[in-house]
Amino acid sequence: MSAKPRTVDTTLAALADPARRRVVELLGERPRRAGELADALRLPAPAMSRHLRALKQSGLVEETHPEFDARVRIYTLKAGAMSDLKTWLAETERLWAQQLGAFKAHIEKKRK
Amino acid sequence: MSAVIVSLRVKATPDEAFEVFTQEIAAWWRPKGLFQITPRGDGVLSFEGQQRLITTLPNGKVFEIGKVTAWAPGERLSFTWRQATFRPEQQTDVTVRFEPVGDETRVTVEHRGWDAIPQAHVARHGFPLMVFQQRQAEHWRTLLARFGERLPAV
Repeated sequence: MSAKPRTVDTTLAALADPARRRVVELLGERPRRAGELADALRLPAPAMSRHLRALKQSGLVEETHPEFDARVRIYTLKAGAMSDLKTWLAETERLWAQQLGAFKAHIEKKRK
Repeated sequence: MSAVIVSLRVKATPDEAFEVFTQEIAAWWRPKGLFQITPRGDGVLSFEGQQRLITTLPNGKVFEIGKVTAWAPGERLSFTWRQATFRPEQQTDVTVRFEPVGDETRVTVEHRGWDAIPQAHVARHGFPLMVFQQRQAEHWRTLLARFGERLPAV
């Protein structure tokens, strides 16, 4: 399998929380400031910071600063952030589709 | 969220299907698959007693894919699943269900990813991944249906 388990693991752990999943969805639309995200989720700033830190550590989200103001932090969804997980799901699905197909062929040939 | 479900019907009773699935896995498993259980290939799979699922590699080495966690002949089989590329503490879970459908049996494989995902959170919030998975599942269902049609009538 080409999906790197470590990445899939951290991705799933990061997405285990509904607030963080909502953040990923919102950032999927466009980059946003931490304050905007906190407002959208009705979360206090410290709680939002914790979620954003977890998302950054999992490699799903990046933090950037606009050139004109280093104090402002803009969060964006990392390109390909979900690809490892999607790869694992797709490959696992293919594995079983193929093997169950082989199982069916085997058992039905036997019964003839 | 991290579950993959694939199912198809076979012309056999649930007891027969369970028996062949577990006792003849070496014969039906296609080792030249899309990807491999270990870097040395899939080897020859077998259920050792009702304890574990192992594979024997060409060099004679035995790799434990997982431990059997449920063994209910004709109904359900569960085992943990670890590929050689996984980290030691990492495992996924596979459950195979055998359900009678007329004179056939529906065999359903459910492969769950890392259980970091509490079940309560699954399938909510219009999460994009769910959409992706449903589309994937549809795709394979179509493919499997076609596979079934191609088999010679018994």
